[in-house]
Amino acid sequence: MDFYGSHWVLTFLIFFPLAGAVVAALVPERLARSVALGVGVIELLVALPLFWTFDPAAGMQNRIDVPWMADWGIGYRLGLDGISLFMVLLTAFLLPLTVLGSWSYIRDRQRAFYAMLLGLTTGVVGVFVALDMFLFYVFWEIMLIPMYFLVGVWGGKERIYAAVKFFLYTAFGSLLMLVAILYLYFKAQGLTGEATFAYEAFLALPLTFTEQALLFAGFALAFAIKVPIFPFHTWLPHAHVQAPTAGSVVLAGVLLKMGTYGFLRFALPLFPAAALNETTVLIFMSLAVIGIVYTAMVAAVQPNAKRLVAYTSVAHLGFAILGIFAFNLQGIQGALLLMIAHGLSTPMLFFLLGMMYERRHTYEIADYGGLAASVPILSAMLVFAALATIGLPGTSGFVSEFLVLLGAFQTHPYLALIAATGVIFAAYYMLPPLQRIVFNALDRKENRVIPDLNRRELTILVPLVALIIWIGVYPRPVLDRMEPAVSQLIHQVEGGRMVVAPPTDHAAERPPVAAADEERR
Amino acid sequence: MIESYLPILILLAISVVNAVVILGLTYLVSPYRPTSVKSAPYESGMPGLGGTRDRFSVKFYVVAILFIVFDVETVFLVPWAVAMRDLGWEGFAAAMIFIFILTVGLIYEWKKGALEWD
Amino acid sequence: MELDFQTSVDYFWALLPEIVLSLWAMGVLLADVFQKGSRSEASRPAIAWLALAGIAAAAVANVWLMTVTGTGGMIAVDGFRIFANFILLLAAALAILVSMGYLDRHAMNRGEFYVLLMFAVVGMMILASAQDLILLFVGLELMSVAIYVLVGFNRRDPRSGEAALKYFLLGAFASAFLLYGIALVFGATGTTDLALLAETIGTGVQDAPLLLMMGVGLLAVGFAFKVAAMPFHVWTPDAYDGAPTPITALMATGVKAAAFAALLRVFAVSFGGLHETWVVAFWWLAALTMIGANLVALTQGSVKRMLAYSSIAHAGYVLVAVVAANAVGAAAFLFYLLVYTLMTAGAFGIVIANARGDRERVSLEDYAGLGWQQPVMAAAFAIFLLSLAGFPLTGGFIGKLYILRAALAADQVPLAVILVMASLISYFYYLRVVIVMYMRPAPAADTHAGLTASRPLQVAVGVAAIGVILLFFAPAMVLDAAQGSVAGLFIAQEALFGLSRGP
Repeated sequence: MDFYGSHWVLTFLIFFPLAGAVVAALVPERLARSVALGVGVIELLVALPLFWTFDPAAGMQNRIDVPWMADWGIGYRLGLDGISLFMVLLTAFLLPLTVLGSWSYIRDRQRAFYAMLLGLTTGVVGVFVALDMFLFYVFWEIMLIPMYFLVGVWGGKERIYAAVKFFLYTAFGSLLMLVAILYLYFKAQGLTGEATFAYEAFLALPLTFTEQALLFAGFALAFAIKVPIFPFHTWLPHAHVQAPTAGSVVLAGVLLKMGTYGFLRFALPLFPAAALNETTVLIFMSLAVIGIVYTAMVAAVQPNAKRLVAYTSVAHLGFAILGIFAFNLQGIQGALLLMIAHGLSTPMLFFLLGMMYERRHTYEIADYGGLAASVPILSAMLVFAALATIGLPGTSGFVSEFLVLLGAFQTHPYLALIAATGVIFAAYYMLPPLQRIVFNALDRKENRVIPDLNRRELTILVPLVALIIWIGVYPRPVLDRMEPAVSQLIHQVEGGRMVVAPPTDHAAERPPVAAADEERR
Repeated sequence: MIESYLPILILLAISVVNAVVILGLTYLVSPYRPTSVKSAPYESGMPGLGGTRDRFSVKFYVVAILFIVFDVETVFLVPWAVAMRDLGWEGFAAAMIFIFILTVGLIYEWKKGALEWD
Repeated sequence: MELDFQTSVDYFWALLPEIVLSLWAMGVLLADVFQKGSRSEASRPAIAWLALAGIAAAAVANVWLMTVTGTGGMIAVDGFRIFANFILLLAAALAILVSMGYLDRHAMNRGEFYVLLMFAVVGMMILASAQDLILLFVGLELMSVAIYVLVGFNRRDPRSGEAALKYFLLGAFASAFLLYGIALVFGATGTTDLALLAETIGTGVQDAPLLLMMGVGLLAVGFAFKVAAMPFHVWTPDAYDGAPTPITALMATGVKAAAFAALLRVFAVSFGGLHETWVVAFWWLAALTMIGANLVALTQGSVKRMLAYSSIAHAGYVLVAVVAANAVGAAAFLFYLLVYTLMTAGAFGIVIANARGDRERVSLEDYAGLGWQQPVMAAAFAIFLLSLAGFPLTGGFIGKLYILRAALAADQVPLAVILVMASLISYFYYLRVVIVMYMRPAPAADTHAGLTASRPLQVAVGVAAIGVILLFFAPAMVLDAAQGSVAGLFIAQEALFGLSRGP
């Protein structure tokens, strides 16, 4: 059995955390976190070699296609390409760190907590590697439940409101996506006579422009809520502020990427004509730019550090959307890189905020001050994380934002120009709070006696720092692995863009009874 | 087809008209002088006792239900008995099944004490 | 075995499951009165098991029935009926299992409870198998009368009596509608035989189409009452709320399933030729039920009442399959009824389990913190609620997907979208229970300690929970069975009108 050459590595990465979740739920309370850590480390160790065994030239790999509900054409179909590879790696990378980050943060109901955390990983990895629309949808939905519980049970004061809002927003989007998927399914069945939910089978469907536009709307809404794109972002600050550290980390680190990933994997390739229509592109890029500027301004006035970081997430993912809809090599590569960069720097910030919360039990910026004097290592880390979030040259954020802007300039220079101000805004919303927390006078005596980072906490942060710098300085290995997949995506979508089925006389296709129905209404 | 219902309609109309005319006429021509004795409910010539919404012992209802059961039994069995020879064994079997079910019910009632007054 | 219904013996074979169950019920009735020392003492536990054995015996007879084919009689011997019978027997078995501890706690353990329940199931089975409107009515009444009594079975509870009276009055009202509808249909076509009706209507009814349409309309109203579709649902919340909870479970599952089975047979099969006409009515019924019931369910503070409204909402989903009126729709219909029976019976089982003595704890607050003090029970409830909401990993999702598929196959895209939006609304109130169970603290550390879930109830809930999950991961077998069992149902219609617009 060739583990890394076959689907087994993906199957393992999906279901091993689930098995771990079951074990974590059954072992005695005090062992739960150790089990979870073990599972997380193994998951990471198993996932890591993928970086080297992955063959950029081979396109979609580690595939499997076995029937599950054969009658309906639902199959267990997985695959990995340059786009999903890094999402999977990021997920696996963050898992042990989140367990460590929750080590002393979570005191109640640890078994359930770690079971949920591991179960969540199953859903997330599944979303990133599923190549069956039904399977994808199932993973997409089941990932909601653990997240819902993570926020709702272990969250802050308004956790229930936040959890429900998160759940309903996401569920609303995904239900419409389900209808769109089913429509595609029928379309495919009508054309080929074969019932299948296979992703590839949907790629080649001839759809009229109207169909594409409606279906794209169904998919795009689900993903836009998840990303979240500007007017749909209101659930995110609540969820972030209320969630426990681990919840925030996973939410910012990987869950939001499911939205951008969804655009790249599904919404664009399935409906190229609608997605790359001049109006659509303009709408999305404008929303992205509005999101960048607006949320930057909102972030600047937040008294709550966690809420601030939540808003920066919206701004950053706005850049990702900008890059995706610029739809050229630089833009998409930049967006992908930004997804990784954001998946490192924002979790780092959340980890640090969690550590500060454990020490002082507050997220209010005003409650801190002068930490540089009392806890130098923590302060240094905080400064680094903040600078990485701003996108200082030498960190991963810089490369990715640069690439995104480069891509966006080629298509919509004006929008790119406005977006570029977002980089300045980032400094504006990030540095003053940083100054207040780290450098101002140490005027509260509670802040004097707090301990500095311990070894466990450093174990969490150091790998993040290393990765951020590595990608910031030498992104080539990452970009190389993405490039063929991105080129192929662009090629395929550009090719599909011109192929629009002519509008047919819809009534003629239908049997007489249905047409009569229609007339009578 | 609907025409074949016409006689029924005519019958219906006649009976309605008949009823309306008779009741209407008596209402119009009869003298109407109520007294308290006259408007009291008729109780077999006895003076009325209490209201009409009295509660009755459940035993009355049980007896009433038993009566209905055996009433229905008669309604079914008499026609069968009349046509027994024509219906043959199949009819006999059907009647026996019917009697069997009633017997089960009777045994149940008996054991439940529905046949005893106290 | 081949049945042509030329002799009465054929009817005996065709009705074997019903006959077995009826005889068994009579046996239980006699066994109960003979084993008691005095009239007022409680029945022995063996009576309940005996009743359960009767259900099993009927199921065995039903299995045997699968080897039988029959055409032309008043009784349908087809896959649809057999599948429906299994659902009804399952509902009855679950209801009996959850009753066992419940009756003792409420001091109403009388053998008659199980006997009436069995007779009600006989009525349901006849309802699902009737090939003739008269027989259908007989089955309906047999079922209804037994259920009226069962709803009022808790004589000490005035709410039980109130529920029984309301149910009886409105049920009788609905029966009258149905009967009048049958009379008008007979007047217009000269037959009550469902197959003949299909033929007569198919070849065009020359006389009195108005009469026929009125009959069909009245039948639709009667059925809408029985399946509790909006706006004919007003009796449901009170009747469900007041009835003993096991009976509520049976009403929400068995009664509804049986009425739906009859509805599908009558409308999709016999009145298939009038599909264009009645589909509009059912379209609105379905849409109204889905939206209305889900919205009203939002406002319920009692879990039992919420589940009552949820069962109304689910009637709306099933109506979508009826509107589709094709083979996919009928199969989806059967599959959904099965899932629905499991998850609803399971959910009511939890409601029964969450009680202390004879006090049922049905308000939302009574569930606070249940998730951490009774993890297994709460997890099972969460599974049922998620399944009712139609969430992946549960059979409810596959069921809903199946109905969506049927709706889309029948070109009912707006109805499909309404279904999806209605499901979204339903997330609110199903999740609210989950929230209360897991995210609200319990008033005290021992609030939920020592709940008295009897062993049979645990079995019922366990079976239902496993069933609900299995129907997601391995639905193939049931799907095949559902598809196979409706294969014969639409043949005549397809030949006549090309009604089956599905793939």
